[in-house]
Amino acid sequence: MKHSMLRRSTMREIRQSLGRFFAILSIIALGVGFFSGVRDTTPAMVHTVDAFWQEKQLYDYRLVSTLGWEEQDVAFFRMQGNVRAAEGSQTLDLLCRGEDGADYVLKSHSIPQKINLLELTEGRMPEKANECIMDAGMNLGLSVGDTIYLSGSNSQETRDAVRYSKFKIVGAAHSSYYLNYERGSTSLGNGTVAGYLYLPPEAYEREAFSEIYIRFDQDDQIYSKAYNNAMDAREEHWKALTKAQAEKRYDRIVSEARKELQKGRNELAEKRAEGLQELEDAAKELGDGKRELASAAKELEDAARELEDARTKLEDAQKELEDAKQKLDDGQIELESAGEQLESSQAQLDSAAAQLAESEQRIADGQAQLDAAKTAIDSNDAALREQANALAAQETELEAAMAYFEMLPPEEQAKLTAGQAALREGREKLNAAQAQITAARQELAAQQTALDDGRNQLAQGRAEYEAGVAAYEEGLQQFEAAKQELADGEQAYADGVQEYENGKRDYEDGLQKYEDGKIEYEDGVREFEDGLKEYQDGRAEFDEKIADAEAELADAEAEIDELEHPETYVLDRSVNIGYSCFESDSQIVEQVARVFPLFFILVAALVCMTTMSRMVEEQRTGIGTLKALGYSEGQIMGKFAFYAGSAAVIGCVIGFAVGTIVFPTVIWTTYQMMYIPLSIKLVFDWQMALLSLVASLLCSIGATWLSCRIELQETAAGLMRPKAPKAGKRVLLEYLPFLWNRLKFLHKVSIRNIFRYKGRFFMMVVGIGGCTALLLTGFGLKDTVADFAEVQYNEIVTADASLGFRNDIHGELPAKLKEVIDAQSEKSILLRETMLDLVTKDTVKAMNILIPDTPDTFGNFMNLHTVDGEPLQFPGKNEAYVSNSVHDRYGVSVGDTITLRSEDMKTITAKVTGIFENHVYNYVLLTPETYASQMNEDVPYNAAYLNFAEGTDGTQISAALSGEDDITNVVLFAEMQERIGKMMSSLNYVVALVIVCAAGLAFIVLYNLTNINITERIREIATIKVLGFFRGETEAYVLRENIALTAIGILAGLGLGVLLHRFVISQIIVDLVSFKVQILPMSYVWSILLTFGFNLLVNLVMGIKLDRINMAESLKSVD
Amino acid sequence: MSTFVEFQNVRKVYRTGELEIEALHDVSFEIGRGEFCVIVGASGAGKTTILNILGGMDTLTSGSAWLDGTEISSYNKKQLTAYRRYDVGFVFQFYNLVGNLTAKENVELAAQICRDPLDAETVLRQVGLGERMKNFPAQLSGGEQQRVAIARALAKNPKLLLCDEPTGALDYQTGKSVLSLLQDTCRNTGMTVVVITHNSALAAMADRIITVKSGTIESVRMNDHIVDVADIEW
Repeated sequence: MKHSMLRRSTMREIRQSLGRFFAILSIIALGVGFFSGVRDTTPAMVHTVDAFWQEKQLYDYRLVSTLGWEEQDVAFFRMQGNVRAAEGSQTLDLLCRGEDGADYVLKSHSIPQKINLLELTEGRMPEKANECIMDAGMNLGLSVGDTIYLSGSNSQETRDAVRYSKFKIVGAAHSSYYLNYERGSTSLGNGTVAGYLYLPPEAYEREAFSEIYIRFDQDDQIYSKAYNNAMDAREEHWKALTKAQAEKRYDRIVSEARKELQKGRNELAEKRAEGLQELEDAAKELGDGKRELASAAKELEDAARELEDARTKLEDAQKELEDAKQKLDDGQIELESAGEQLESSQAQLDSAAAQLAESEQRIADGQAQLDAAKTAIDSNDAALREQANALAAQETELEAAMAYFEMLPPEEQAKLTAGQAALREGREKLNAAQAQITAARQELAAQQTALDDGRNQLAQGRAEYEAGVAAYEEGLQQFEAAKQELADGEQAYADGVQEYENGKRDYEDGLQKYEDGKIEYEDGVREFEDGLKEYQDGRAEFDEKIADAEAELADAEAEIDELEHPETYVLDRSVNIGYSCFESDSQIVEQVARVFPLFFILVAALVCMTTMSRMVEEQRTGIGTLKALGYSEGQIMGKFAFYAGSAAVIGCVIGFAVGTIVFPTVIWTTYQMMYIPLSIKLVFDWQMALLSLVASLLCSIGATWLSCRIELQETAAGLMRPKAPKAGKRVLLEYLPFLWNRLKFLHKVSIRNIFRYKGRFFMMVVGIGGCTALLLTGFGLKDTVADFAEVQYNEIVTADASLGFRNDIHGELPAKLKEVIDAQSEKSILLRETMLDLVTKDTVKAMNILIPDTPDTFGNFMNLHTVDGEPLQFPGKNEAYVSNSVHDRYGVSVGDTITLRSEDMKTITAKVTGIFENHVYNYVLLTPETYASQMNEDVPYNAAYLNFAEGTDGTQISAALSGEDDITNVVLFAEMQERIGKMMSSLNYVVALVIVCAAGLAFIVLYNLTNINITERIREIATIKVLGFFRGETEAYVLRENIALTAIGILAGLGLGVLLHRFVISQIIVDLVSFKVQILPMSYVWSILLTFGFNLLVNLVMGIKLDRINMAESLKSVD
Repeated sequence: MSTFVEFQNVRKVYRTGELEIEALHDVSFEIGRGEFCVIVGASGAGKTTILNILGGMDTLTSGSAWLDGTEISSYNKKQLTAYRRYDVGFVFQFYNLVGNLTAKENVELAAQICRDPLDAETVLRQVGLGERMKNFPAQLSGGEQQRVAIARALAKNPKLLLCDEPTGALDYQTGKSVLSLLQDTCRNTGMTVVVITHNSALAAMADRIITVKSGTIESVRMNDHIVDVADIEW
């Protein structure tokens, strides 16, 4: 019952003083959050990467032999104990060209099956040998679906090693072998590898693997002791194993080569014998040919003679034929005239016959006419006689009628008279017609006589004509005979001609044959001569070839003898840039984690302490009462311990949960600028959770115990009496009257108050100072990291752009290029830009080497000065300048001699005479003389720095220059700066995180302290209110102390912040980048303003609280 | 003597959640200028409430309160502060000195915010603390602390000096000397002094005695036989 009442009282206590409860809760939450968050970040990061590498089976050993490896070597290593997988792999640096003509050096690897697997981000894995996977981490301007071409400037060896000259990009992937964005260096191009390319193993045509990757049968966490110990334990064994296996390969190569050599020798002997035989055969053949040619010449002569005879004969025959032809022609002419005569006589005959026929006709016609006329006359005569009869009849009638005449009427009389007249007329006409007929009879008789004469003549003509016809027919017969004769002659002639023609053709054929034979003969002669020459040439060639082959064999033998025993390397993960960088990078947070939590725990303890001691003080009477009632000290202590402890436990749980989620997540986000994107895998660490809980309980309950201890030792009665007020004390300042007396005494009050409670003063200074320090570190981090690019490209590198040339330039810049560059820029300098390894005792590190052709003018492009700002000249011969990062990280100092080693193991040694400020890349500057004298070659310049004219557009110039064939790449430093700036902007998250934590810290400390201050001085405040202080005055009276304490805290914090910032930066090591440790004035201003801002915010809240203080409090007794 | 302080039908109700407590009910009285007035009553009778209203530390629910012809019950918060600042001097039962200020500084704390303050050292000498000006309260006895408190109130040169059980935390002799200091101040400077006490014995030294009982005025009477402090026994 007692217990439960006590508990109830405690619960009520919590409810009534939530502000205080939360103060403890939140400072514990903040402390635990920061502690666990920061502590958890490194394990979470390592776990994230570890999980990725376990999944992708990162290699444990990379075995390299200068002779390469064969499949049987891989099999051998696979058989070794504890080996989970062994895989042969190809690596080859390629000069590549994108579809847009951009050139890159890409590191190609064969696509792994078991070790160092890929994480496909886009597209698919290759299915054909001429497909490839591109680098997903580097922005090369290539995209899936593009084709990438092997540049023609690759060495023959490289071109032979790759089956295809172009590859289709079918996917993009992150490689577990490349955890960060470092791709290493190369001896090609400008020495920088732009990215990687994964090709199917079938795409390579090489007899040996470049390296063998080994994965042991282990899943130890990366960087873990277990892993390192296991690896250390097997190192010696594996070195020996690798060496031995490489020797075996050496032996194989040598014996095979010797076998091959022997085979070559045998072959040579065989070939020589064969060749000699062939030559002999050829000589024999040539002799036969010569003989054949001689007989052919004789044959030709005979043929020529025969032809001559044939020709003579032909000519005779031709003459004969011509005579015959003459005769025939004459006969023809005669025949033709006889023909003509015959034709004319036939014509005469024909016309005579026609005349005869005509005459006969005429006579016949005349007879017919006569007959017709006689008939007509006869018919006329008959008609006349009839008419005469008719007339006579009529006369009779008339005469009869006359008789009656006098008796007849007049009209009948007239008619009768008219009849009489007509009859008379008829008589007359009949008489006339009779006369005419008589005349016609006479003429007819005359004509009959004439006709008979004609008939006589005709008969005479006919006789004549028939005699003519007989004569003609006789002539015709003669003509036909002559014609026949001629035709026979012609036939004979034609036959003769035919015969002649045949003869001629035979002759011509013979001639043709002869000529052909002659040409054939000549060809034969030429062929023979050629054959002879060929034989001689063949002989010479044979001798030469044999000599060559012998020399070659001798060379090969020498080569075998000279073949060096292989160098072998057993490389573990530490040489993998991603592996080693990530180890150091992930340690950064751990380093930082060592400092911050301590600080937060200190603040938390202070807050708990002040809060709890105040609470105990307030509860003094209550404690006395409880004690008087008979509660044990332990029970009373328990009440306070529960109060503080429960706040701590809740705070711890919240802080742990939020801290371990937020911190790793935010910090991992910022790491994404350097590493491939993996999603964070959070780690729950029981030990740390327990540790946090113990620490929070220790803080809270410990503080409670410390506060309660003294009070509880007093008697109940003593506790119930008011505690004697703490005496006012003079502060140091008062002994300086000239200062003290000038102060308004309200300020004096504040000053006394500030120094009255040492614990609170300390807590305030630590809390506020911590807030300012955190803010300053946060802002400073941003200044340092975000600004180094600006310093680098505005203050140090004053050049505007750099160019890369396609071909190395020895000596002067070619005129054409010079013209182009001069047209686009104001000033330019020719440079050798390359990577050489800096060899030190501990490490080998690739350096960027810069060699300007005119060191005197290099200052126009790069402002060389020491970190302290002292200007530097260019180093002299066999001297070098190194950038400050080289000094800082690899311990190279002025006066040291450094050794730089090239890929082909040539070295340059130089004395370091200066260290210059530089923030991007590790530079070493050398003069051309140093390079030329130690490398024994002219400096092969491959780059240039340009300064543009004022007001020109860099992008345009860049575009113009990129278009040039001889220029491979143009880098604008302004763009570079922008790019780095963008990359670094992810740090904003960290800065925001720091600001939030700082704000939390400031709020909790200020609020808690002010709260205590006010409750403690509530009577005093009420009194001054009664005294008539206005609201502002009252606030000033109380809060002035806050402001003063804040100011002191800020001062302390600024100092602390500078140190903290330096510490944090020293822990952040990013390869190739060295930061300019600086905090800009604005960051100081912001840190101060923000701290004051937090302070004002707290004061605002507290002002309200002050206003609410009841003046009646002043009337209460002191408790 | 003219009326300096006047309460007219003052009613004060405290509200604590659901609970209403009527602390004062129809309180009316007057105090003349330059009078030494004692308000006496048992614990819880309402005398502190009267003091709070009179001192401008609290407001009333109804009625009105006047000082020197001005109605203080109509003042807003700021005016009340100014009123406390310029017109009223307080002497608390527990002195309420600021612990880390010396005696002199405590006086100056009040003096520096007034229009027409008295010199701190003079006042301290008047109250008999000329030698202890540079001492911190913790180094002073209760009586000395209360003298400092009186000096602090006087240095403001107020129109009205309000004392809340000024002897409550003091022993008999010291209490007496403090009371006589108050009486002398009233007599010598003509300042109106109001002392609130539960000790009715003190009424004998007052010009005017106001008795409070259960939130109302039981009686207001003038003292015809003013007794010197030294002669009062309690």
